Amino acid sequence: MNLSRLNVNLCGLSLETPFILASGILDQNGYTMQRILKEGAAAVVTKSIGMVPRNGYAPPIVFPGDGYLLNAVGLSNPGIDKIGTEVKIASEAGKPIIGSIFGKDAEEFSLLARKMESYGCAGVELNLSCPHVKGFGSEIGSDPDAVEEIVGDVKKSVKIPVFAKLSPNVTDIVEIAKAADRADALVLVNTLRGMAIDIFARMPVLSNAYGGLSGRAIKPVGLRLVYEVKKETGKTIVGVGGISSAADALEYVMAGSSSVQIGTAVMESGRAIFSSLSSEMISLMNRTGFDRITDAVGVAVK
Amino acid sequence: MMVRAEVTRVAEIASGVKKIDFEWDAKVLPGQFLMLWYPGYGEIPISISHIGNPKSITVKEYGNVSKLICNMEKGNTIYFRGPYGNHFNPKGKKILIVGGGSGMASLHPLIGPGVYGIVAGRTSHDLVFLDEFDRDKVTVSTDDGSMGVKGNALDALKLQKLEEFTSIHVCGPEIMMFRIMEHLVGRDLNVEFSLERTMKCGIGICDSCSIDGKQLCRDGPVFHISELSLMKEFGESKLTSAGERVFTNVHT
Repeated sequence: MNLSRLNVNLCGLSLETPFILASGILDQNGYTMQRILKEGAAAVVTKSIGMVPRNGYAPPIVFPGDGYLLNAVGLSNPGIDKIGTEVKIASEAGKPIIGSIFGKDAEEFSLLARKMESYGCAGVELNLSCPHVKGFGSEIGSDPDAVEEIVGDVKKSVKIPVFAKLSPNVTDIVEIAKAADRADALVLVNTLRGMAIDIFARMPVLSNAYGGLSGRAIKPVGLRLVYEVKKETGKTIVGVGGISSAADALEYVMAGSSSVQIGTAVMESGRAIFSSLSSEMISLMNRTGFDRITDAVGVAVK
Repeated sequence: MMVRAEVTRVAEIASGVKKIDFEWDAKVLPGQFLMLWYPGYGEIPISISHIGNPKSITVKEYGNVSKLICNMEKGNTIYFRGPYGNHFNPKGKKILIVGGGSGMASLHPLIGPGVYGIVAGRTSHDLVFLDEFDRDKVTVSTDDGSMGVKGNALDALKLQKLEEFTSIHVCGPEIMMFRIMEHLVGRDLNVEFSLERTMKCGIGICDSCSIDGKQLCRDGPVFHISELSLMKEFGESKLTSAGERVFTNVHT
């Protein structure tokens, strides 16, 4: 299939299509990332990696619901020193690998970013938004001063593009987006905080009680946040949140996303979703009157 | 979605191995598994050993959660998600199943009249579902020689005229399966293996159980020898719970 109409240049990264594998899904084993790239993803974002190995939470770490998924994996990761092996294996696919990182302060984020760059990552994504681990993620990402310092320091530390992934669990996302202004692009949005209770067991299902809500249920929320941030800041945005079809993706693009990430939809449709989204998108562009996907970016923002 | 079912019977069928029956009216294929939740303690993947109604799981005491499950009694409630995974594809009239220890649980739905078996265990107390085979069609191996062939499943397998079997189905520890795969690859045999790796989500997203980019919980756990023999990670390396690659190097 000729995908040239779907080509995107994202902050210097040449992407075959706008469809990137989101962080946290099938992205800690290098062979898995390599396979997903070969099967049609334009790029992958690794699982979020910290300074040291973490087992994460004990299962249940997921609860699949009707049209949504709750997860509290707990930042399970092998640590920055071990992920290089996996990035190298994944790189054999010849497509960009974006390293996702989480730290407790600007110093850790900068060190992690430099390591990811040394492993050959094409970009680095700052996880400023994990909703279920104390001291990391959204606890840092809801403080504009911390966000500004982390993004600024990481930008000074690496030459590869820096993506800041923000949380929807804040009162005013535009304030945080402005604090992250020095990032090359914003990734909007991480999961929403949520939970599920089993009424017969009389307790939360996830071992961590709280988790992140993703999947089709959150698409309207993510879409609105992308739209709002695009309108208020004009920043380059990577949209993520509940995209399971080319039509969903095109909505996100029209709201201002230059490319999009796919995560939970892999649960429903399998890895094959990446190639089917690409072919669906081309026929959808024919019906909606776009020659190139880049022509649709932000057209709905008024 | 979490399913609830009532335990109708519990029986110890080998040393530390319990068969737990429960009522559940759902279609399950041979080789599929459940994610079984013990509220407040954890969730683990478990093979469905009996796929009619009542259904059964066959569990070996291994960690905290499996121990709690083994201590369940008639009338208790079990909670689970599933069934998950692909399934065995038995073909033809002469079928051989090869089970090491509790690996026999996932193979159990294939046992029937005329089916041949190799039942392997560490000792004569670790032989799972031995009594369910026709006596003249089963070969036993034990590591300590307390019953049958002294040795492992491969030693017992080498005694068979394998080309006579129309399909062969194997489940057990990865080292056992790797040795068997090495022995059988390149021959004109129809062989399937059911793999086991660290599994957390069961729904193909967390990447804990992946092998060569395929997810055991979704693309597997059953793989044909033609695919498995090409997998670089089989018998070589796997990821820990944190995602650190550890080399098992079974093949060196």
